[in-house]
Amino acid sequence: MAMLKTILGNLLRPSRTRDPADMPDVPPVYRGALAHDAARCTACGTCAFVCAPKAISFTQDPGVSVSWHFFIGQCSFCGLCAQNCPTQAISLNADVPAGMDSAAGDGLRLESVVHLQPCTRCGAAHVPLPDATMAVLWGTEEAERGYCPDCRRWAASARLRSAFVPAAAEEVHHER
Amino acid sequence: MNLIERVVAISRRRSPWICRLNAGSCNGCDIEITPLLSPRYDAEQLGVELHGTPKHADIVLISGTLTLRSREAILDIYAQVPNPKAVVALGSCPASGNVFAGSPLVLSESLDSVVPVDVWVPGCPPRPQAILDGIARAAKLLEDGATKSQLQNWLGRLS
Repeated sequence: MAMLKTILGNLLRPSRTRDPADMPDVPPVYRGALAHDAARCTACGTCAFVCAPKAISFTQDPGVSVSWHFFIGQCSFCGLCAQNCPTQAISLNADVPAGMDSAAGDGLRLESVVHLQPCTRCGAAHVPLPDATMAVLWGTEEAERGYCPDCRRWAASARLRSAFVPAAAEEVHHER
Repeated sequence: MNLIERVVAISRRRSPWICRLNAGSCNGCDIEITPLLSPRYDAEQLGVELHGTPKHADIVLISGTLTLRSREAILDIYAQVPNPKAVVALGSCPASGNVFAGSPLVLSESLDSVVPVDVWVPGCPPRPQAILDGIARAAKLLEDGATKSQLQNWLGRLS
């Protein structure tokens, strides 16, 4: 009789296991797929250098853009790239990448394009530094913000020269 | 498709039997399969049952880096799985070789060049729910007759 009661009780009760949709939450520190912020990337290549499985690579379209490529099928989710990125352009999402139907192909590849900007002094195309970095280096109003690395070096040496030889400061202004 | 074939197709989706194949894995992906079969993730509510022999399986889970020696084993075991069959590749290793790519005895190529793969589950290792999702996808493909091996057979019959 007791057995019959149990059976009847279980017939009316919903399932006591988790539904496939009701999965345990992913921990917030879980290292999932990578996200790349092109506005913060300086294309320095540190992430590609520290990536042990070579999941990250850069390609360039000279004078126009630099592309950051990530192939999730080759990633071991160690997080070294996010740890070593000097401008925090890379972060690891906490969400789980879903299954892919395509072969190690399109769905698994991520591309992020960093557009080059012309230098405000010489016009050479270069990867702009992220705003936060520039604010620390030169404040928000400085003319050097739009300079390419060469012009920045020139500006730094010009400043140095004018500090030693005040007369040279005049020349600098004429040059511009 | 007549009624009986339809019933067979549906029951195939409702009860996909799986077989694990470690092709040179670090065991990370295989360890994630164990909780998948435990009550917490409970793959058996989808009818998923783990079988030790490929001859009873519908879906083969292949994990790990492909090596020169495991290539032969994969082909051998894949041939033993009765048709229709589906292949789920677990983790990054089958897709590319991951950190082992470029080692002397490692095939630095995707599993697709050895056997037709239907679902890729990214992760290193993938979470159990991602693996469960991959198995569910493969079971759906089996029901629809859309796995790569089924499509190949179908094309073979046409020509």
